[in-house]
Amino acid sequence: MTDLSLNYEVLSKFLVYFIKEEVQSNKFNKVVLGLSGGLDSAVVAYLSAEALGKENVIGILMPYKLSSPDSLNDALLIAKKIGIKHETFEITDIVDQYFKKINTTDKMRIGNFLSRVRMSILFDRTREYDAIVMGTGNKSEIMLGYTTWYGDMAAGLYPIGDLYKTQVFELAKFMKIPEKILNKPPSADLWPGQKDEDELGAVYRELDSVLYLYIDERKSMEEIISLGHSKKLVQNVIRRVNSTQFKRTIPPVAKFSARTLGIDFLYPHDMGR
Amino acid sequence: MHYKIALAQINPVLGDIEKNLLKHEEFTKKAIKEKADLIVFPELSMTGYKLGDLTMEVALPYESDFFKPLLTLGKHIDIVLGFVERGKDKNSYNSAMYISEGRVKSVYEKLYPPTHGMFDELRFVARGKEIKTFDTKIGKVSMLICRDIFHPSLMFLAYASNADIVLVLSNMPLRGLKGEKPAIQETVEKAIDTYTNFFGMFVAYVNRVGFDDGLGFFGGSFVCTPSGRKLAYAGLFDEALTFAEIDSEEIFKKRQTFPLLREEDMNIVKLNFDKILEDSYD
Repeated sequence: MTDLSLNYEVLSKFLVYFIKEEVQSNKFNKVVLGLSGGLDSAVVAYLSAEALGKENVIGILMPYKLSSPDSLNDALLIAKKIGIKHETFEITDIVDQYFKKINTTDKMRIGNFLSRVRMSILFDRTREYDAIVMGTGNKSEIMLGYTTWYGDMAAGLYPIGDLYKTQVFELAKFMKIPEKILNKPPSADLWPGQKDEDELGAVYRELDSVLYLYIDERKSMEEIISLGHSKKLVQNVIRRVNSTQFKRTIPPVAKFSARTLGIDFLYPHDMGR
Repeated sequence: MHYKIALAQINPVLGDIEKNLLKHEEFTKKAIKEKADLIVFPELSMTGYKLGDLTMEVALPYESDFFKPLLTLGKHIDIVLGFVERGKDKNSYNSAMYISEGRVKSVYEKLYPPTHGMFDELRFVARGKEIKTFDTKIGKVSMLICRDIFHPSLMFLAYASNADIVLVLSNMPLRGLKGEKPAIQETVEKAIDTYTNFFGMFVAYVNRVGFDDGLGFFGGSFVCTPSGRKLAYAGLFDEALTFAEIDSEEIFKKRQTFPLLREEDMNIVKLNFDKILEDSYD
């Protein structure tokens, strides 16, 4: 397997500085984030509390009737352990109201809807708390496109967006996040029994090796296969990365003027702090 | 000669030259209080790094009255800072300014602004053309800016012009977090260890801290002696004003015991280099 190890002591410090400075340069002191009970949001909550103080981090728990009860309990465990403000807002009635009128059994469609309802709630809460939404996506899922566009991807900052899931796990271990959170299988929990690794067709350690070789080391499909990864997996990973690039870019704009957003209107994000 | 150099490892506000000017004054006043002879700020210390389209909006001629407060402080201490220069040739440059005795003594335009991957400098600024080595009260000084130091040819030119100290103004973003130190920090330190050791001169490396659009600048400013020894170290990630006491006698000692520059035959270098250039056009 490819070496994905990092110096987690320096990394955690670097991420804490990142959060502190980028939140403030966006002219905020507070952040809200969706606490799912999973590893990614737990890590971002820990880092945010360290960067901004626990009083400036608000965790929102948004269970649906089919969500695993473990998810809610684990999210509460995290919130209490860090001592951040948290509230639970059940989304069952909003979602069911909609799907009463829309007849579908398409899990993907329902799952995406859940994700975008949660996004709407988080962004609504930012008005209440004068806060910015923290993204909790990691590099593995963002690169594989295993995220909902304008759903869980919608955020002001991506503090763990350059860490593969395997590295998020190691960082969480370093930060002493409760074993219970560390040990459960990664899941978006959009329907009962859903597991990332079932859907993606491989364990994260293997997916991450292939992603790392393809993205960070710019190896070709043939080179990655020759390093001992299965052809099926490598093809699947590369297809996923390439076919989901639209989620990671500003949509194309029909340029005709002198300066056009996304093309040649090139001001920095952090200007005018 | 003994002198004291102050490394101003600051975190500038992107695009806000007024705020950054105040920070320059604040750090310079502290350095004066500590009786430093020279204070060095990082690359683009007056503007921040990832300017994009702001570049032309924050560009200033080096004679601009904007710098007056620093020229005034510059009567008590030499000051080196980074800014976007609005050139007389109507280009913008990523430049370093050396202030001494209340006036601008030298301006250096970055020779190799990187443009690849996360770097986009040549889209917004032009390349400089000339290494500047000049006499100051602390000896012969050359200034280089960030990427410049990964070109041994530029360090060699500073050496060939018999510089005593090279001041490196840097905005080096962090990458590589496997080892004990960030990989890029290792690269910079190894390069400067080697340069100082073989070129028998001092190097003061001043890198900024803070973030511009996700690029994190690691700091880690230091001074290296002609024997490759670290004199001062400003640490990672935090703003710092770090002082180093320099004894320029070390240069003389080093060049007597390891007289590479005395051996160096610039004519041989030139002849061979001309030939390489000629051949490359065949």
